[in-house]
Amino acid sequence: MKEAVRIQHEDFSQDEEVAALRAGSKRMGGIATFTGCARDFSEGREVTQISFDAYGSMALAEMKKLRVEAIAKFELLDARIVHRVGVVGAGEQIVFIAAGAAHRAPALQACHWLIDELKQRVPIWKKEITAQGDAWVTPHP
Amino acid sequence: MIKVLFFGPVAERAGTSEMQVPFRAGMRLQEVRAQLQESHPAAFEIVCFTAVNGEHALDMSLPLADHSEVVFMSKFSGG
Repeated sequence: MKEAVRIQHEDFSQDEEVAALRAGSKRMGGIATFTGCARDFSEGREVTQISFDAYGSMALAEMKKLRVEAIAKFELLDARIVHRVGVVGAGEQIVFIAAGAAHRAPALQACHWLIDELKQRVPIWKKEITAQGDAWVTPHP
Repeated sequence: MIKVLFFGPVAERAGTSEMQVPFRAGMRLQEVRAQLQESHPAAFEIVCFTAVNGEHALDMSLPLADHSEVVFMSKFSGG
């Protein structure tokens, strides 16, 4: 079985991730998922691709910490996080989060918390590639 | 030597993704930052986080060991 937390270039299968989550426990009454995709527009420009750079070792370590924290904080039975790096085409999948719990509320709350925390804490950067040029999506401090 | 890494927009502004800074006994994080900020001011305009050996470093007076890995990072935009 694939690792529960991964950073990878290739696309992922939501079905495989959810199946792996379900295989861990029959006590799971609710599974919430979030899929982040590459929008084909940004600030009036057409985005053809998004390129991701990551501080790989720290990003993976932070994502593993997030999973452990979410399991403890929301009493999850399991959680999975997959994030792609490299070049992702418009409309393609970027990130997938799945949280499984005995009941729906903690699963939904954990999923929301995980994507918000990932954006704040995981060292990954995206660059939008457009016909007008490329631009890193990085707010100034 | 101290290994310094840059990623994403900081690497683009610095014109490189990796640098080596000579280590000296008693060296602190702020000295590495000050040295590189002087030579790469545009890159450091957007630096808001620093990591040492894969952990967030909030204290710039942190002493560094030889062969430490230091990363100066801009705000993250993954997800």
